[in-house]
Amino acid sequence: MNDLMQPLPGLDVWHPATQQAVFRRLLDCYSHPGRVEACGDTDRAPLTALLATLLDAETSLADPHHLIKAGDWPKLEVRSGTAEHAAFVVANGTLAADFTPRLGTLESPEQSATLLLLVNSLVNPLGNEQARSGGQCLNLKLSGPGIPGTLKLAVSGLHPGWLSARADWVAVFPLGVDLILCDSRGFTALPRTTHIELEVC
Amino acid sequence: MTSHAYNFGFLDEYAKKEVRRAILKAIAIPGYQVPYASREMPMGRGFGTGGLQLTLALIGPDEIVKVIDQGSDDSVNAVNLRQFIEMTCPGVSTTTCTAECTLLQTRHRIPELPLTAEQIIVLQVPYPDPLVVVESSENKRKTMHGEADYSRLLVKLYEDIVKYDEITISHRYPTRINGHYVIDPSPIPRWDVAKLNNSAALLLFGAGREKKIYAVPPHTRAEPLVFSDVPFRVEDFRDEAGQRRVCARCGCANSFLDEFVGDAGNKTYQCSDSDWCDEQLQRAEQVQGVAA
Ligand SMILES: [Zn+2]
Repeated sequence: MNDLMQPLPGLDVWHPATQQAVFRRLLDCYSHPGRVEACGDTDRAPLTALLATLLDAETSLADPHHLIKAGDWPKLEVRSGTAEHAAFVVANGTLAADFTPRLGTLESPEQSATLLLLVNSLVNPLGNEQARSGGQCLNLKLSGPGIPGTLKLAVSGLHPGWLSARADWVAVFPLGVDLILCDSRGFTALPRTTHIELEVC
Repeated sequence: MTSHAYNFGFLDEYAKKEVRRAILKAIAIPGYQVPYASREMPMGRGFGTGGLQLTLALIGPDEIVKVIDQGSDDSVNAVNLRQFIEMTCPGVSTTTCTAECTLLQTRHRIPELPLTAEQIIVLQVPYPDPLVVVESSENKRKTMHGEADYSRLLVKLYEDIVKYDEITISHRYPTRINGHYVIDPSPIPRWDVAKLNNSAALLLFGAGREKKIYAVPPHTRAEPLVFSDVPFRVEDFRDEAGQRRVCARCGCANSFLDEFVGDAGNKTYQCSDSDWCDEQLQRAEQVQGVAA
């Protein structure tokens, strides 16, 4: 037996019990935008754990940067769509945004996309701590629903183009997109209501 | 997903995912009524199926659940829902203690004890749309909500003031969330509306019959619709002499009271929140014990 063929030790992301636990962490991220939740106890990367948790045949997914392993598509059971039309879009955060996801309508703002961006590192800095090296580092100062006062989030490996594009996408509430940022250890959420101030670090 | 033999939380995993996706949208668009495909439940709609579907989509094996109806853990409705959860979610524990629970499903009340960031409150909703009273077409209501156009609802409230000198809505007081959507906060009294504002806990609302889910995220503005010259007032529990009535059981003078009429036609008052009442009573007995 080749040990490399074994999955990571940890919770099976395809099991409903794991998905319930992952969902509750994501729920905490939505309730407290910018809060980084650890997801290091699953047998696959946090991004895959989230996809397994959120998707099924009732929804659609676009993967313009080919981040999803071919073998995972059948397990996700999700319909494949384009980045412009899918309900969920997975993208490489280090690359510039080059599509406009669906933003919903005034009457049905829920028909908007959720973007899952893979970045290098996510940290809620304590004091002067910053994101680990690896790509450009952005210090975000967050406010809005779910955040008493402000919260800092340091992200490395996020192309700043995403933030300017996102500012356009969420400019006319209730239209918008909701972002989920993932690194190799965990994730956080930036719903459309979160106000983001950018501080270069 | 289906290859796993798994039987927890009654709903199939597809139904849970549907509800979970709707919950996330509801938090991202505070106060917006997210439509979802509500499944048939083994109890009549109107018995809290919307709330129950939220609970079953959220619940995990380590959960500590409390279920109340009109503030009481012991009413038939609350007991039935609690038993259903115990039966379908092996490992989950239940409690009547507000401070202990991680997930609270409720109808008609929000507990007196302030909830914490570690708790989620699920409210059962019979009528989710506050605009129904002024507009019968759902399409038109959706446009009005999207534009945050509540002028007709405000006119209706104002007519009330002209007629009765104050806003007479006792329950389901229209409340604006994060400066945009106005929600029906479910049949909670005005007393509880203030608890929606800047809450530490996430509040989720489920309407099973109307197939809608909406949310008030933590630390979010929730403002009852008011006019500058007619302030929002909570229920008044003063007697004819202007004295604040107290709970006949525990003596609490700052809780929401239920009125009971005795055989002789005499009225007595008691905390509507039974766990709160128990806690106050226990505290009072401890103080007495120390004094003795
Ligand atoms: Zn009492």
